[in-house]
Amino acid sequence: MDEYGPLDDVLTALADPTRRAILARLAASDARVTDVAAPFSISLNSVSKHIRILERADLVRRRKQGREHMLALNPAPLDAASDWLDQQRALWAWRLDELDKILKEPAS
Amino acid sequence: MTNEAVSSVVVTHRFDAAPERVFDAFLDVAIARRFLFATAKGEMIAAEIDPRVGGRYTFTDRRPDMGDVLHTGEYLEIDRPRRLVFTFGVPQFAPGYTTVTIDIRPDGEGCVLTLTNDDVPAAHADGNRDGWTRILTGLLPAYEDVQAAGWL
Repeated sequence: MDEYGPLDDVLTALADPTRRAILARLAASDARVTDVAAPFSISLNSVSKHIRILERADLVRRRKQGREHMLALNPAPLDAASDWLDQQRALWAWRLDELDKILKEPAS
Repeated sequence: MTNEAVSSVVVTHRFDAAPERVFDAFLDVAIARRFLFATAKGEMIAAEIDPRVGGRYTFTDRRPDMGDVLHTGEYLEIDRPRRLVFTFGVPQFAPGYTTVTIDIRPDGEGCVLTLTNDDVPAAHADGNRDGWTRILTGLLPAYEDVQAAGWL
């Protein structure tokens, strides 16, 4: 098991509250870019940048529907990120088991 | 957001050994090198510990799949046999440091150890906003947002 998985894009994407809010919105339903941007006080251009970061992490996928760009949540990378934390937990647990074995060795 | 608790990895383990013995294992390089930053397939080829507050440690684990992996950090608190806090980074994989806290409380003849690996204190943040610690802080809340939104 490694300390760090190749999840940098996902974790970077999740590090920002605006992007988390976009994900939460898309968790409810697919939406147009303009709908996603509507609740935010920042510019559409700025929201678009956030969406591109989410797309790069493959957390959001875009499809054309007529003249509109529809956005959809792709949850798979979230599972990968969650798995990563589980791996960290397992690795530390394994290390403490190793310590336990060492402490039970007969004193030399 | 107050994410500290959910972004942490927490592991507990009960030992039959006394708190002092368990505590000392983390700072005794001959013992620590056998478990502390060990991996199942790796071989610890070098380990050094300067066991004082402000002192540093380095452990190098040789892995069949990725070569030599350096683990390094600094001791922040050494309160034998109750509490040990150190920063922890693997520069090869990510900038910045996380924090590892070891809490040990007596339990009958033995003790219960709680290890928490969470993000770096502000004093160690280097201004790199893409640092691992900042990233990790954001992780689980997003997952919870998605759950709260009813997707999961």
